[in-house]
Amino acid sequence: MSNAVEIHELDYRAGKSFAIQDLDLSVSTGSIYGFLGPNGSGKTTTIRLILGLLRARAGTIQVLGEPMPLAAPAVLARVGFVPEQPHLDPTLTVRETMRFRAAFYPKWDGVWAEQLLQTFDLDAERLFGKLSKGQKGKVMMLLALAQRPDLLVLDEPTDGLDPVVRRDMLSALIDYVSQHGASVFISSHLVHELERMCDWIGVMDNGRLVSHMPMEQFKNGIKRLLVSEAPADTGSAPFAVLARDRNGAASETWLVRGWESDMTAWFDGRGASVQSIVDLDLEDGFVELLRTFRRAPHGQEVL
Amino acid sequence: MFDHIDPRSPTPLYAQIAARVRVAVAAGNLRPGDALPSVRQLASRLRVNPATVVQAYRELETDGFVELRQGAGTFVREVRAERRAGERAHQAASLVRRMVAEAGRLGVSVDELHAAIAEEIGARSP
Repeated sequence: MSNAVEIHELDYRAGKSFAIQDLDLSVSTGSIYGFLGPNGSGKTTTIRLILGLLRARAGTIQVLGEPMPLAAPAVLARVGFVPEQPHLDPTLTVRETMRFRAAFYPKWDGVWAEQLLQTFDLDAERLFGKLSKGQKGKVMMLLALAQRPDLLVLDEPTDGLDPVVRRDMLSALIDYVSQHGASVFISSHLVHELERMCDWIGVMDNGRLVSHMPMEQFKNGIKRLLVSEAPADTGSAPFAVLARDRNGAASETWLVRGWESDMTAWFDGRGASVQSIVDLDLEDGFVELLRTFRRAPHGQEVL
Repeated sequence: MFDHIDPRSPTPLYAQIAARVRVAVAAGNLRPGDALPSVRQLASRLRVNPATVVQAYRELETDGFVELRQGAGTFVREVRAERRAGERAHQAASLVRRMVAEAGRLGVSVDELHAAIAEEIGARSP
């Protein structure tokens, strides 16, 4: 089994306004897949589809090698889920919540759950409803990890939490992943966190997956160039021009994909020159990508 | 030693981690036989993909800086003095390259840079 999640030609519609169209996405086993996209782009919907909480109109979803939502009970026993909003009973204590959760998961690790309580500095006797936002986040992560899942699905698990809590949660996550080789599917707006840990990046916009590639490729391929005497025709360029903006009479800023260092020669041959080459980090790349995608004729893939 | 790993840098994270170890070995802060943190410890501490740490350690092994002992961990190897000096020279060169590039962006001339270096280093020497 090579993929922890495999989505093929998926179509989903909620009312008339929102749709996920032609979604093809795969998360290979053992990888940490970062799922980016602006608010309302369909990230949470995709996650709910993966977990079998929503039904698609067409297409297939396989999770841990089993079809969803058909095999949901067996699959979900092996999937740890941290939702955007904690949805636990506020009148139970942390320990009661843990005991309740343990009953559903055959591989629940009680010893490790106790260790995580310590690591996260949580009071097991407190009511869930009385916990701070950060403490709730830690409880959600604890529950997801202690069930020893083969796949973790995390929907903005650390967004809105303070840096210390985020650090503790992600360290525990990475600790688990390095021991067990579990796969992770994580969405977040905290792009720099994803930039540290993910080896794959998928970008959603308006119900479509507009980019899906290894992190290094995503980061290395996209550059911002400052070009003077920019040539009008780029048909013969060895790279793809995603966007170009005029800065003044003689210079333009280009956003290019597939750039390699020896490609400045192409400009030299056309009486143009590259004044500077800026490496984009994941956040810049993400923002530029969305800008370009939205400018392109609808539905055209830019990456 | 692994502080200030920068995920936003165009230098891949594995290369940054490997560079930290090479620098520590070159400077004598890591000695032959010293153990590196386990993949699990370091990945969790830096909150990076475990595969990134594995890749860094493999590169260090290929370069002859460390050896991977099955089941025991990753240990610093004896690195000859010339090799360590070479590594320091390499680091110095890349430091200067970055400085010169940054100076260019700031419009600082080569002479001004020379003067600033002389003053800074002069001030630091006894």
